[in-house]
Amino acid sequence: MARRGATEYAPAVTNRPLVPAKDVWRRPGGLSRWFSRHWLEVAMVAPLFLYVFFFMLVPVAQSFYFSFVEAGTQNVTLGNYREIVNRSQFKDAFINTLGITAIGVTMEMVIGIVIALMLARGFRGRGLFRSIVLVPLGVPTLVAGAAMLYFIGFNGYLNEILRDLGIIDVPVYWQQSGFRGMFAIALADLWKATPLVVLILLAGLEAIPGDIYEAAGIDGAGGWQKFWHHTIPLLMPAITMALILRAIDAFRIFDIALVLAGQAIPVMSSFVYFDYQAGNTNTASAAAVLLLFMIVVFVIAYIFLVERRAEVER
Amino acid sequence: MSVTAAEPQAPEQATVVREPGRGFAWENLGFWLLAILIGGVLLLPLYVLFKVSVSSLADATAPRPSYLIENLTWENWQRLLAWEIIGPPLQHSLIVAFGTAILAILIAAPAAYVISRLPRGTRYLIVLSLLFTRMFPEVIIATPIASNFFSWGLNDTNLGLIMAHLIRTLPLVAWVLVGTFEVIPRDLEESSAVDGAGRIGTLVRIVLPLALPGIAVAGIFAWLDSWNDLLYAIYLFLTERTLPLITYYYASRGTVTDVATFSVILAVPVILLTLVLQRWIRSGYLSGAVKG
Repeated sequence: MARRGATEYAPAVTNRPLVPAKDVWRRPGGLSRWFSRHWLEVAMVAPLFLYVFFFMLVPVAQSFYFSFVEAGTQNVTLGNYREIVNRSQFKDAFINTLGITAIGVTMEMVIGIVIALMLARGFRGRGLFRSIVLVPLGVPTLVAGAAMLYFIGFNGYLNEILRDLGIIDVPVYWQQSGFRGMFAIALADLWKATPLVVLILLAGLEAIPGDIYEAAGIDGAGGWQKFWHHTIPLLMPAITMALILRAIDAFRIFDIALVLAGQAIPVMSSFVYFDYQAGNTNTASAAAVLLLFMIVVFVIAYIFLVERRAEVER
Repeated sequence: MSVTAAEPQAPEQATVVREPGRGFAWENLGFWLLAILIGGVLLLPLYVLFKVSVSSLADATAPRPSYLIENLTWENWQRLLAWEIIGPPLQHSLIVAFGTAILAILIAAPAAYVISRLPRGTRYLIVLSLLFTRMFPEVIIATPIASNFFSWGLNDTNLGLIMAHLIRTLPLVAWVLVGTFEVIPRDLEESSAVDGAGRIGTLVRIVLPLALPGIAVAGIFAWLDSWNDLLYAIYLFLTERTLPLITYYYASRGTVTDVATFSVILAVPVILLTLVLQRWIRSGYLSGAVKG
């Protein structure tokens, strides 16, 4: 075991295996010998792991604790959860978050695939087009929300463009709860997040070997067939990664919703913030725990449903 | 006979090896129109922000907004760039962004180096769990962090905000840096060790210079992340302001021209940095992660 580890790699900080042997605890003096060889590695790793533990994992545990105790008495209770699910503001936040995620991520994936396919072709001006596509990636999320203020406002550009195109006669009031509000927030998210989707999908496209296309072309497969039967299945790992990353971020959406609509269109994160701001740390924590629960359920469900089915088809 | 049999194959072959976009065929016209449309739509919000920031309030709130810049005025810029308004939030934002970037590198780089030298299985496990911390909604962390920091007197301080930003930044920076250190060949370290350099000497003189580009990219990521943050700032800063915070307050009060001006101030350094970063955010950079 020790020999194999030593030949496998020989980094500067050690020439012995970093991962202690399984029986290091039982061997007399095993632990202290391991530590005396590897104190430098331990010292290098410790700050990161301690920071993540104390400032990320401990606060999450604290939130769970807050959510299950009664404000003031500290008695264990489910009352915080019971209270928020009965609040209409919370129901709106829950539905808005699901709606924004569904609308936003769907649009991002479709438009992302189109742009990635365009960029995968070699054409003159590709570099410039790529730069333009990546610009929103750098725009602060808050600014994406602020920019959308001028589009979705009653006198905004979205109404103006739709009127000039003759699609609507009377301006639409977008900043209201319900489908319009979700769409408006998803639109801002779309602008900000599509570049990331494009980057991930483009990386996936470039990993597809070109001779598969040539073989498909010789077999006489048309463009659409080629796309549906060759590109999409081969792109599946990239699609999964982009979709999960984007959905997680869409569930956590905060800046855009806050700037665009404040409390008028609540989402889960902004509900937690305003509830905390109002002094209800315990119910705010309960909502935050439910948001975490939504994300975990989504990720597990996606991996089980989509990945399993893909494996069966293969 | 054999010649005529080969004849119809020629155009078929040509379509297979054709490289689209070379030359100007009619079928490419649709492609170009789509490219121009997408590019235009993506740049439109930035143009509108700039346009509103150089319009008077009356023009910006007109019932039918104009597409072109009319009656250009720098009045908003002159008013908001006064040091009493822009100074304090700009100072906070800059100190916190640089502080976050430097501390993130100091904490994450040594750890990332050690992780990159671990056996493959352990390494992936650690990197994946770092990525999965993204699943925690930030509000679930920010709520207790805010109450802890208030009792420690860290609210409204740059240090408190730096510490909060590190929570989100460290996993990202560590992830980028593990990728950086992974590709530095171990033979170099071995030969340096043979030459008699100590363990720390090898790290500083051999590994560090090779990793500098990656460290710079990770640092810029951290800087951007901190510069853009609204969530932790809104939780922790009650009397002081950062740039995103002051933008948000103007937005909730509703002076549209001021919001646009602050947004442009906030976005310009970020867009410039991202354009610089594009040399490194190549799609190939992410492909390793996609292939898993």
